[in-house]
Amino acid sequence: MTDATTPAIACQNLWQVFGPGADKALTDALSRSGNDADTAAADLRESGFIPAVQDANFEVKEGELFVIMGLSGSGKSTLIRCISQLLPGTGGEIRVDGENVIGASKKALTELRRKKLGMVFQHFGLFPHMTVAENVAYPLRVQGVGRKERLARAQEVISLVGLEGREDSFPRQLSGGQRQRVGIARSLAVNPDIWFLDEPFSALDPLIRRQLQDEFLRIQATLKKSIVFITHDIQEALKLADRIAIMRDGKIVQIGTPTDIVLRPVDDYVREFSKDVAKGQHAKVASVMRGDESECGPDDPGLTTAMTLDAALAHCMELYEPVPVRDEAGNIVGNVHPSDLAAALQVDET
Amino acid sequence: MTAVTDIPSQHAARLTAGAKAALITVIVGAVCLALESVAPWLVKWPAAWELPATQWVGAFLDWFLNGIKPAMRLFSDLMTYPMDAANYVLGNTPWPILIGLVTALGWYLGGLPMALLGFIGLSFVLASGYWAESMNTLALVAVSVPVALFVGGAIGILANEVPRVKSFVQAVLDVMQTVPTFAYLTPLLLLFGFGPVVGLIASAIYAAPPMARNVMLGLERVEPEIKEAAIMSGGTRFQQLFQVEIPAAATQIMVGVNQCLMAALSMVIIAAVIGGFNDIGWEVLLTMRKAQFGESLMAGLVIVVFAVVIDRMSGTLATERKRYDQRVVWAVLGFTVLFTAAFWAWLPNPSELTLLDPMAEAVDSGLTAFTQANGPWLDALKNNSLFYVLLPLRIGLDQAVLPFTWGFQWTPVMSYGLFAVGAVIALLMAWCGHLTGGLVVLILIGMLETGIANLPWPFVLTGAAALGWVAGGWRLAALSVGLLCTILVSGLWERALLSLYLSGAAVFSCAVVGGLIGLASAVWEPVWKVVRPICDMLQTIPLFVFLIPVLMVFQIGEFSAFLAICAYAIVPMIRYTRHGLVNTPDEMMEAAISSGATEWQIMRDVRAPYAAPTILLGLNQTILYAFAMLVIAALIGTTGLGQSIYLALGQADVGLGISAGAAMAILALIADRMVQGFAEERRKALGL
Repeated sequence: MTDATTPAIACQNLWQVFGPGADKALTDALSRSGNDADTAAADLRESGFIPAVQDANFEVKEGELFVIMGLSGSGKSTLIRCISQLLPGTGGEIRVDGENVIGASKKALTELRRKKLGMVFQHFGLFPHMTVAENVAYPLRVQGVGRKERLARAQEVISLVGLEGREDSFPRQLSGGQRQRVGIARSLAVNPDIWFLDEPFSALDPLIRRQLQDEFLRIQATLKKSIVFITHDIQEALKLADRIAIMRDGKIVQIGTPTDIVLRPVDDYVREFSKDVAKGQHAKVASVMRGDESECGPDDPGLTTAMTLDAALAHCMELYEPVPVRDEAGNIVGNVHPSDLAAALQVDET
Repeated sequence: MTAVTDIPSQHAARLTAGAKAALITVIVGAVCLALESVAPWLVKWPAAWELPATQWVGAFLDWFLNGIKPAMRLFSDLMTYPMDAANYVLGNTPWPILIGLVTALGWYLGGLPMALLGFIGLSFVLASGYWAESMNTLALVAVSVPVALFVGGAIGILANEVPRVKSFVQAVLDVMQTVPTFAYLTPLLLLFGFGPVVGLIASAIYAAPPMARNVMLGLERVEPEIKEAAIMSGGTRFQQLFQVEIPAAATQIMVGVNQCLMAALSMVIIAAVIGGFNDIGWEVLLTMRKAQFGESLMAGLVIVVFAVVIDRMSGTLATERKRYDQRVVWAVLGFTVLFTAAFWAWLPNPSELTLLDPMAEAVDSGLTAFTQANGPWLDALKNNSLFYVLLPLRIGLDQAVLPFTWGFQWTPVMSYGLFAVGAVIALLMAWCGHLTGGLVVLILIGMLETGIANLPWPFVLTGAAALGWVAGGWRLAALSVGLLCTILVSGLWERALLSLYLSGAAVFSCAVVGGLIGLASAVWEPVWKVVRPICDMLQTIPLFVFLIPVLMVFQIGEFSAFLAICAYAIVPMIRYTRHGLVNTPDEMMEAAISSGATEWQIMRDVRAPYAAPTILLGLNQTILYAFAMLVIAALIGTTGLGQSIYLALGQADVGLGISAGAAMAILALIADRMVQGFAEERRKALGL
């Protein structure tokens, strides 16, 4: 069933509508509007329903860190709850490793959660009556893993998140950052393939947040999970993501790499997000490179495709002619004009 | 302020809802009074129009109860086993061991203070000479509480698991809370006959709802992310519930356990009224009937001691608990066992202990001396309150003002004069923009003139509809009128009005006095330091015990009943008023202070409006408390529904008992919904 090309998660025409009798209302609205999502959503709103997720389409590849970003109320939390089936999903398909989970039996879902899924919550969702070790071992306990074995595994993940020595503390005795480490450890206890993180660092202080982001990247570098990560913080999204989906009022308005989002926002809403971002730190030279390698000037400051614009600009501050750009292997793959670098940084200075 | 919209105008459409409602009520009342001589049926519901609803209810219940009697008798036979066992164990365990056990338990739960409380409490019980009776009571509690916990817990979990039954369960629990305690007893009496089992089952029924409520509340309040984390961990529903949600809700559930214990104790004592069985409640009743107030007070104190010990110890379960050294527990237990073994032969029989008898006698003689010394003053207080306040409220100035008490006879001219004064006041207030206020004054004067017990029924129905409409829209108005009509046609109307009068008077006094005490406690911390333990105490004391001191000083009668109701019902008013006033958000206070408002302006313009919804909830509780106490107070002389329920109990008249109980529940329910409606409206207005 699964092969290298099967995405870890694939959502097709996914809808989550709230209100009594939402299933039928959605079907009706879609047939009335001739399957046009925007019209159907407006129609649903008018009749008192809340289309929290509208016609979401995206794929998360294996090992990819997929970030969903949006303001509060944009439907991102609802979307992740659909995928993890904490909400049933009103219409469409969600394929996890190629299998549709919408309408799957309770038993199948429980099995899926026990083997493949892990989730981290914004406010940690720790069990107040259990110690750190018991919290982390709980996903194993529900599967009937013996006490000794599950505590040993808990110990492993507790070390992974750097909480050795706090195994017997209760959640109330921990700081916010430590609590989220417990949350992360618990979600990793069964070694899931797919990892959901719902604004995991939003409730933390900026310093702790940065620290945990770095550790999260370190953990991901070794574990290579397929991740859906929710945030409302564009900096966080750009820092972590392989690809970003931006949501607004229940709709995904743009999916793209961090560079795409920063340099090629599809509309004012997305542009508004990237306004505060120091573009030079996120956009790469590749995004402004031209394919023609013959027109270079005499200077070669040694730009590469993976360099950020800021770094590239620092290398050719005093140059006025196109310079060559190399790929990772050192082959020249194109050129870039220093003025283009500067211009790219100033797209939105209005 | 709503005054702007209250300006009177020719266009009725511009009147506020309140003004319209009040206006209609005034008109209906005036018409009824004007036509009284022509059409007396407008004032007094004719007996010929009454339906024999009480008999119907009685006949139906008799049939129904007889139907389930065999099953119930079987159940009660089964219950006698655990009860006998509990009785045997508690009755035959040597008293030092029991005291040691309670002391050790106290230490385990709350350290030294609780251990001391347990030790001193039980020592007092021992010294009082009521040890055996206390153990009988305790045996009943010991059996009824597990039943109530189990049933209540199961109902709470069921309601949580099956959303469809949730609102139904909630409604049933609401009704059960308003049905007076004695009303339960009559059908139980029929089912189980006289004896301790009735008390056991009554207390289990009475104590289960608080448990169910708290389990529901606790499970509801578990953070959604905790529930989701349990789901995402791959737990089955059973695992989620029992491994995560219930333990996470433990604090709230323990509050339920505490309330369940207190309710059971309270009911076990009340059930003594039909018990005639050798327990402490019975002892209170017996000594009260024999006017042996010293003994009665002593027995009452024993009950209070039990209530305090049980309440405070189980209360620690609901708070964050420290761990206390368990070696102390074993040491205490070991010591008591050794002590008992060593002094077995010399241990006195607890029933023969009379250490406190001199105290009881002292109380008795002291009381006699006190009443003799202060007799004129006390009588004056009692008679003045009766003749100048309670009686006019009840039967109106036109009947209460007699040469014998007031020194002159009320004449129709005076009535007209009074109404004229009322009309002038109303006009003046309307002129100043307070039309609704003016109309309400007019209504109140009319009620004072007629007396609550003599109010014309169309006026009461209109008034209830008007209040309901203002508080909660036409639905509440329709509900109120519909429910009141059932009382009207069932022939319980006059008694209902009497109950309304007494509880109304008590609630009004509580609202004024309690509100003032609450205000004083809020602005002046030392007052609260004094008031708080008194409130705690009053809330712990079982209802029954309130009657003793009142009876000692003022004898049987309406005034005593009134005082007992006030003493019990005032507590929530004080608590909620203070709580509301103290909990004004800091930023609001800071904003007011930095605007340059004085203390008094802050109180009037910021704290009081912000506290209004909370104070209204306190009023709501006070009303419910007053209704609950009204029935108990029937033991020492009230008229109305409470008395009917009590009489029905004596005559095993299920129809009357249940109908009167239902009527009472209806009154309480309507009052509850209306006050809640007003509170809700205020909350919405404040955006809370």
